[in-house]
Amino acid sequence: MSTLTTETPDTPALSPAQLRERKDRRRALGLLTPGLVWMALFMVLPMAMVIYVSFWTQTTFSVNSTLTTASWERFLSSATYLGAIWTTLRIWAIVLVATIVVGYPVALFIGLFVRNKTLQTALLVACVIPFWTSFLIRVIAWRPMLGTEGAINMILMKLGIIHEPLTFLLFSEFSVLVGMTQIYCVFMVGPITFMLGRIDVSVIEAARDLGASFGTIFRRIILPLSLPGVMVGSIFVSVMVLGEFATAASLSGRKTNLLGNIIVSQVGSLKWAFAAVAGVVLTIIITAVIALALRLVDLRKEM
Amino acid sequence: MESRILRPTLALYTVAFLLFLYGPMIVLAILSFQSIDGGPQFPIRDWSIYWYQHLLGMAETSRVSQLPVGDSLIRSIILAFMTTVVSTVLGVMSAEAFRTKFKGSGPAFYLIILGMMVPGVLVGLGMALLSNTLGIARAWWGTSFVLHVVYTYPFAFLVMLAIFNRFDRTVEEASLSLGVSPAQTFRRVTFPIIFPGVLSAMLFSFTLSYDEFARTLFTAGRDLTLPLAIYGTFSVEIYPNIFAFGVLTTLFSFTLLVIYGLLMKRFTAKAARFTGQEDA
Repeated sequence: MSTLTTETPDTPALSPAQLRERKDRRRALGLLTPGLVWMALFMVLPMAMVIYVSFWTQTTFSVNSTLTTASWERFLSSATYLGAIWTTLRIWAIVLVATIVVGYPVALFIGLFVRNKTLQTALLVACVIPFWTSFLIRVIAWRPMLGTEGAINMILMKLGIIHEPLTFLLFSEFSVLVGMTQIYCVFMVGPITFMLGRIDVSVIEAARDLGASFGTIFRRIILPLSLPGVMVGSIFVSVMVLGEFATAASLSGRKTNLLGNIIVSQVGSLKWAFAAVAGVVLTIIITAVIALALRLVDLRKEM
Repeated sequence: MESRILRPTLALYTVAFLLFLYGPMIVLAILSFQSIDGGPQFPIRDWSIYWYQHLLGMAETSRVSQLPVGDSLIRSIILAFMTTVVSTVLGVMSAEAFRTKFKGSGPAFYLIILGMMVPGVLVGLGMALLSNTLGIARAWWGTSFVLHVVYTYPFAFLVMLAIFNRFDRTVEEASLSLGVSPAQTFRRVTFPIIFPGVLSAMLFSFTLSYDEFARTLFTAGRDLTLPLAIYGTFSVEIYPNIFAFGVLTTLFSFTLLVIYGLLMKRFTAKAARFTGQEDA
């Protein structure tokens, strides 16, 4: 490779290295194009359509493309719809905290306290196995568990702790929260375990030799090093919980209406413009949450 | 040392956590053996396999209508298969592209990853609106299929990216500079190295698509896929036949997992044999 050509890039003759680089880049773009076109056509375009249709005119049975903000005004002045936004945010926050609180000690045990690789893998696999059952089946499995004649009430009555079956367990917000926490917890345990597993044990041993208590070690070493895992897990859980509707539809007895449920019911009654408005609101919420999370963690670096 | 208390406490907690994860499925499995006159709750009147027979259409006429699993199962498997092929091919191509540095790789990366982030109910709604406007009929093999790929392709891409990151490029270059054709190099050198990744990407794509429901709900048109058939039972009273179905579909998933494990094992054994030959 002559240094002469590389130092004068404006000359038309390119060095072999540059030619190769250019060829490589063209090849990369060629390989990438089908995927990007697919995403543009079948993801970006539909999302743009949702925004566009949210400004269409809704008549009783159909929509037409006359632009109006009527659907938005109706949505933002309706207590039901605003309530759905509030419910969505509340459930999201509770489930997010619950998955961290429930999942973190498990991740701590698997990632840090189990140093036997085989046992570690076995425990992680045990956490992932329920994921292999259909999502809807896992949701519905909570019904015989929490119902008034369900397993939990039966056990509690047999033990004599209660005499009347607890009715708040099923078809309430409680059952939705329990169901979502169980289903999405794994997505929190995984990333945290991964980060904890990468901690060099000698660092912890050094801290212990220098007289640090476990509390100090946890606060100063373990927690900061595991935070990227918590963030990645939070992104997973947030995205899934915010877009949820099936768990609420199955376990709340129609008492809990998330934005997702609003979309489904509006589409069911052919109110496309209202569904689109709810869709845009949901998109805004999710974008805000992801943007916030991505400011705190670089996803590409962690993968 | 505090870990003497902490370790057993955490171990016990992990056991409780696993019970929390498995509890509902265990209860569901037990109740699937409910007798004909029993409901979807305790107590078990009598142990029987009636609801399995009912599910498979082998029971006599009954008050409970049969789950429409036959046709929808076949549709779901075909759909998952189509999705697997396309998203794995796209995933391998894109990950291969990301091995060279190019301008705009950051936005391209996030555009692909967005596919697994966007809620299914949103893209589903968008696709339904789009097909309404363009006058395209919605069908599971069309509008649903493209959305399934939007969802599974990022997973396949990430798996392949992880494989390519650990891939030593000089091996390929050695093969090429020894005069082996690019096609032969791909077949004899590149493919064997990336094969475990391809298999994982396929497994991911298949199971995600097979179970995908939110993206299918608005876009499947008249013919139902399996998750839609299950969702249809949500609004009505449930019977133990859906529990029996849950048990069977879980067994099906495990069969897939075992096949994957066997393929993987066979492949690594073969790879080990090749290294053995080199040593000899």
